[in-house]
Amino acid sequence: MVEKLAIDSTLRCDVLVIGAGGAGLRAAAQICEEKPETKIIALTKVTSPQKSHTTTAQGGMAAVDPKDSEDRPLFHMFDTWKGSDCSSDQNVIKKVCETGWEEVVWLERHGMHFSRTEESRIAKRPFGGHMLNFGEKMAFRACYEATRTGKGIMDTVWDECLKYGVNFIGQCIATELLFEDDRCIGAIIFRFPEGKFKAVLAKATIIATGGKTRMYKVSTNCRGNTGDGLAMALNAGLPVMDLEAVQFHPTGIIGPGILASEALRGEGAILRNKDEEPFMERYAPTAKDLAPRDLISRSIITEIREGRGLFNEDHNAKHVWLDLRHLPKEVHEKKIQEIESFFRRFVGVDPVTELCPVAPTAHYQMGGIPTNEYGDVQRDADNIVPGLFACGEAAAASLHGLNRLGTNSLLELITMGKVTGRQVVEYLKDAKDPEELPPNAGNITFGQFSTYLKAQGNENYADVRDTLRQTMMDNVGIFRSEKPLLEAIDKLKELRERAMHIPMSLTSLQANQDLWQIWELNNLITVSIIIAQGALARKESRGAHFREDYPVRSNEFNYHTLVYMQEFNKISFGKRPIDMSLFKAKGERYEMFDYIERKY
Amino acid sequence: MSKPYKITLEINRYDPDTELSWIQSYTVEAGGILRFVDVLRKINDEQDSTLAWASSCEHAQCGSCGIIVNGKPLLACELLVKDAVEQFKTHTFRLRPLTIAPVLRDLIVDLEKAYERVHKAKPYLIKPAPVPQEGDEYRISQEKLETYIEATQCINCFCCATACISSHHHFIGPNATMANIVRLMDPRETAKEERMEILYREDGVYRCHTSRACSFVCPKEIDVSHFLALGKEGRF
Repeated sequence: MVEKLAIDSTLRCDVLVIGAGGAGLRAAAQICEEKPETKIIALTKVTSPQKSHTTTAQGGMAAVDPKDSEDRPLFHMFDTWKGSDCSSDQNVIKKVCETGWEEVVWLERHGMHFSRTEESRIAKRPFGGHMLNFGEKMAFRACYEATRTGKGIMDTVWDECLKYGVNFIGQCIATELLFEDDRCIGAIIFRFPEGKFKAVLAKATIIATGGKTRMYKVSTNCRGNTGDGLAMALNAGLPVMDLEAVQFHPTGIIGPGILASEALRGEGAILRNKDEEPFMERYAPTAKDLAPRDLISRSIITEIREGRGLFNEDHNAKHVWLDLRHLPKEVHEKKIQEIESFFRRFVGVDPVTELCPVAPTAHYQMGGIPTNEYGDVQRDADNIVPGLFACGEAAAASLHGLNRLGTNSLLELITMGKVTGRQVVEYLKDAKDPEELPPNAGNITFGQFSTYLKAQGNENYADVRDTLRQTMMDNVGIFRSEKPLLEAIDKLKELRERAMHIPMSLTSLQANQDLWQIWELNNLITVSIIIAQGALARKESRGAHFREDYPVRSNEFNYHTLVYMQEFNKISFGKRPIDMSLFKAKGERYEMFDYIERKY
Repeated sequence: MSKPYKITLEINRYDPDTELSWIQSYTVEAGGILRFVDVLRKINDEQDSTLAWASSCEHAQCGSCGIIVNGKPLLACELLVKDAVEQFKTHTFRLRPLTIAPVLRDLIVDLEKAYERVHKAKPYLIKPAPVPQEGDEYRISQEKLETYIEATQCINCFCCATACISSHHHFIGPNATMANIVRLMDPRETAKEERMEILYREDGVYRCHTSRACSFVCPKEIDVSHFLALGKEGRF
């Protein structure tokens, strides 16, 4: 017997933050500091913000220290532009790179435990694609806390919000955005423990739901990274941008694909094939093992395809080696000991004496909900949605374009989180309280949930999930081309249909894991078809998006892809121009910010 | 390829709709390299989709998947089948939810409630020390940082609080206490008096009976009892 679905009660607040990870809570902290009386509700899918996916980021946060006599924000801007394969927005690049160090100091002043130099200052390490003087040699630009920089950041922003009394609601999802005319006025939320739907009416709403690579068989992402925020925005008729750009991290630990940070290569680890040849020297003669991630992931797959990879029987998977044996004792014991423990624990390999098995793993979405450089969500290239903001991995402003450099994500979520918080404070000045619950509130949510609860048929959740993850890995992964993409789209349509016929073994709303997972699965399928359709439409190769049938970058595609989809697979495309303001300003070395050739 | 294991999991079930609880037994064939989270997923996929359990990152970074296996609180994501067989010298495992918070369903407990303990310990810098120059970082020597950095690895999985003989009664618990001690040791914190009040109050560190169970079970291998001892001694 399925209960009648209804809104149990309505909460009111000034700001609703959907997703209490690094970006969402940096935004909330900014609002608290500027306007402490603001009433904020922050939702998280997990039990505490401390358990957000941000906490798993390992290597570092890029920022140019003004005390560094060799490095300059201009070099960082160039690296980001080049790393993106000329597809990120230069207004955002400038803003983020110029304010990075301020944010490092903010974190330090709020209690983050950065690793230190012998002079007791914040220590830095090199990272892929970050170089001095327009690509000359490696820069030391990644500030870090051992190999748990994400945890340091997450703890710090969580602490700050705790201090100001932000109201956290855990084990909770947002299922539907609410609108008063064009203005966003909150969301419908659903809490796992008691299984009740509530409406939250807010003057401003921030989407910061993070990434979504759980549709890939091998992924670094946590169990709940299922594209919920993107699906919610799409259902509201809003666009998503550049979803075809999925970052595969080169060094996932064989098996489930647990992240083995680029920090390992930053500290000197070397990738080797089955002949133990350091093969990156052939693909990127200057940057070698610290070339950008897209390039290294493709190199690894090429090695494997050409017969120079290895095979792990336990995990039934191909891989290459990551060699850490030559690193000094001090590095093993202090700087990377936590990641090394993953190799020992999950694959039984001792990195001090043995080679470590690694293969690319789906890691990050460069695209997301399009915003301007202030964090306002865009309806199209020229118009924003009043009252709705987005930041972090869920959003695309876009700092990363079609490929992100390592350590630029933590930088982005903190700087853009702050910028978004600031923009919300501005918005709140004239924003009125939403009057009442819109009459159609809950329609989308109850439509979905009653379909899941009443589903009849003999489809199996695990089978649909696994087919989805295998299809995306095989057909919409690192190398793409037209035929496999078309096949994937057909398959996704079929999976969508099958997902509607998975009978629910438990129809209670209380702590119903099945119901929660079916909702997530549908979000994953929704987002997957957009990745596939975007990949099919972008007939070129740029950054992390590589088409074997169109292997070079084409000026014809110098734009961001916008996609709208309110009904499954009824897609309409839009475009957003790439911001070239650094190039157009004709400042120092502006020619480097043109559509340049990308070699490492 | 390593040989598959045939293991039996005897799991505490609880249904909040009927308020019934029972023990259910599942026999699973699983590869030795599978983690316990993979085994639980396998049970969901092949035998019983209603069995509820929690996890998030699944590589010991978030502390969402704590359970009790044969009496020991641990993270289900980092216990491999072959290691479990070796460590517990059995193929039968008794799985129970953590005892530190109310059970929501089966193996899922309401960690939000447990977190209230950590909130009470004020894990943030209450009053940060000024820096000589605005915009500069506070200088902390490697040696100083070394004295407390281990404790900052805590992910609040509440395995220690579950194992602790005192934290089910009046003690705020080892992890929450350690969060306070970290800030007492942090040279940037100036609100030392307020922190000492928290440390030595009724639910504070003197409730600890020094069983050292916390250090024994910590999945992050933090010597929690060392930090609690520093707290008792007042040596920050």
